[in-house]
Amino acid sequence: MKVSFPYMGSAIVYKKLFEFLEHEVIMPPKPTQRTMDLGVKYSPEFACIPLKMVMGTYLEAIEKGAKVLVTSGGHGPCRAGFYGDTHRNILKSLGYDDVELIIFDAPQDNWKAFWRNVQKIRNGVPWPKVINRMYTLYRFVQKLDELEKMVQKIRPYEINKGQTTQVWNEIQEKFDKIKTRKELYKVYEECKNMLLSIPTKEVDERDKIKVGIVGEIYVVMESSINFGIEEILGNLGVEVERSLYLFEWINDNLVPWALRPKRFKEIIKKGQRYIKILIGGHAVETVGHIIDFKERGFDGIVHLMPFACLPELVTQSLIPKISKEVDIPILSLPIDEQTGKANMLTRIEAFVDLLRNRKKGKTNEVLINNLQQHADEERVVMV
Amino acid sequence: MKSIYIGVDVGSVSTNVVAIDKDVNVLFKTYIRTNGQPIDSVKEGIRQLKESLGDVEVLGVGTTGSGRQLAGAILGADVIKNEITAHATATIHFVPNVRTIFEIGGQDSKIIIIKDQMVVDFAMNTVCAAGTGSFLDHQAERLKIPIEQFGDLALSAKNSVRIAGRCTVFAESDMIAKQQFGFSKAEIIRGLCDALVRNYLNNVGRGKNLEPPFVFQGGVAANKGIKAAFERELKSEIIVPEHFNVMGAIGSAILAKDYVEKNKVKTNFRGFDAADIEFTTSSFECKGCSNRCEVVKVSMEGKVIAMWGDRCGKWTNSL
Ligand code: SF4
Repeated sequence: MKVSFPYMGSAIVYKKLFEFLEHEVIMPPKPTQRTMDLGVKYSPEFACIPLKMVMGTYLEAIEKGAKVLVTSGGHGPCRAGFYGDTHRNILKSLGYDDVELIIFDAPQDNWKAFWRNVQKIRNGVPWPKVINRMYTLYRFVQKLDELEKMVQKIRPYEINKGQTTQVWNEIQEKFDKIKTRKELYKVYEECKNMLLSIPTKEVDERDKIKVGIVGEIYVVMESSINFGIEEILGNLGVEVERSLYLFEWINDNLVPWALRPKRFKEIIKKGQRYIKILIGGHAVETVGHIIDFKERGFDGIVHLMPFACLPELVTQSLIPKISKEVDIPILSLPIDEQTGKANMLTRIEAFVDLLRNRKKGKTNEVLINNLQQHADEERVVMV
Repeated sequence: MKSIYIGVDVGSVSTNVVAIDKDVNVLFKTYIRTNGQPIDSVKEGIRQLKESLGDVEVLGVGTTGSGRQLAGAILGADVIKNEITAHATATIHFVPNVRTIFEIGGQDSKIIIIKDQMVVDFAMNTVCAAGTGSFLDHQAERLKIPIEQFGDLALSAKNSVRIAGRCTVFAESDMIAKQQFGFSKAEIIRGLCDALVRNYLNNVGRGKNLEPPFVFQGGVAANKGIKAAFERELKSEIIVPEHFNVMGAIGSAILAKDYVEKNKVKTNFRGFDAADIEFTTSSFECKGCSNRCEVVKVSMEGKVIAMWGDRCGKWTNSL
């Protein structure tokens, strides 16, 4: 089967999955302006941005020859649950009758449907092989996430601007070529050393600024839609951590209930302090993570929300209250096809200024001390 | 010879250039329409500054606004800063006990919350134009009233008409309806001012704790009708600083001054010749990896002097 999937975050993971199941994989292109234009053109205007971007990605994948599109569904009362059907209808109306859309809803919602889908994409590969390879993939995701977390801790302090991102690109290419578990562990060690050998500057622990990124999964995970916010923050000298990593998402959502990690339950519990019922999307997790980040000593939160995303709108309306009660600055950034980068940069930069000032508790002096640093962080090189 | 610090604020609507001395006296200010030509407007501003002040020694240059990188590259700025920090810096200088800054310009508006001379919170409008100067411009045009008379006319009204101000489109149709009901232009304008303020406070200021002293700046602060509407809504005095429409530029000049003084460095300023040099910008999509960055390139007489937008540093570091 010529299989493709939505591009989100480290898309090589999904590619590996289907390679392991011996499908012919059509790698969807990383979303660009063209993806957005296509998605906007063929989606309902009031749909949120993830639906539009994924629509665009499907169309680009189909152009490249994909016949089967595999995606995860949504659950809870948010319209993400209808994405699959909406996409299916749009594809049909565009005349792609020969393209199949396979949607994986949460298994606990409908085990039978889940099982049917599993059989479909298993592609006749014998079960022992499937299990072995899925275990490899599980570790693959884990290792890749570990490296990404390192990237986020090294980037703010790199001496040669851009080096960490470059190394991270190389790492992803290396991971893309991995075939076996043995290789995985070897490549992982290599990559770790590559990261550790990046020259960095010494920064006093008290001067480090840490920001947690929370919000709806697609805008949090996919850098092409969030303007590469992790890099922007990293280049401003800020350590970042996301509320979502693929490995944790797999543990939280695909591993059966009984095995769900304690951490996930705790996050939900924290979130329920402010949102008591399930409202869909990642609203409860978003709030839970805000509180969790604060408890772990983070300095600020960037909250990413697709424009008109209902669950995140609920979160946003709670933010002034949470921010005050929990005592942590939170910057909410709505993301839409119209969001301009200049505007976004201004907010982020001003937010980082605010966090630094807050940390030092002093005003201008700190600002001035940071100016030199900021001037090159703006990435303008003068001759 | 006078020693000055230059501040430049390049926005989508206007480009403001100021010169201050070491005591932050404003020696020169100008306001130029950007008209989509930021390079030309920056050059024009610098030319006017030179003409007006004659021989001066430039000790530092700061830029801000959405065109801050470009302006910074052209002039050789010492400090390139976002608008929020720049605005706050200037306001705190002139009104040291300020708690809330209302900043309304042509295309965008912000609210900045200050505590102990420190920015503690801020908000900017995203997509909505109903709380900005262009909304007023547009309505003034529709009512055939020169925008300069707008404020006085609003003040002359005894009563206000409630205009739906949540969205420019609604406001417009509501205004037409109210005109047909026979309300006077003055009343309608006062209603519009109230609507703009209400909309701005509800949208941009949502969830914010607004404490006096309030300072109102940006191009729209020239409009007395809006100032009065703020005062009615907040039941408090609103301070409009003398240099209300160039505060961002002043802020960036102050930041440049502080930076240069503190670090005892010489300015990067390219000199007033910059006004005669030919600068060109272009951009291209890098195909080096799947990021496909949109890289901006600024050249000075054919030589590349600045690049940005690359995620990996490939281009920025190539200079
Ligand atoms: S500039 Fe660097 S990160 Fe951007 S597309 Fe080119 S190689 Fe990739």
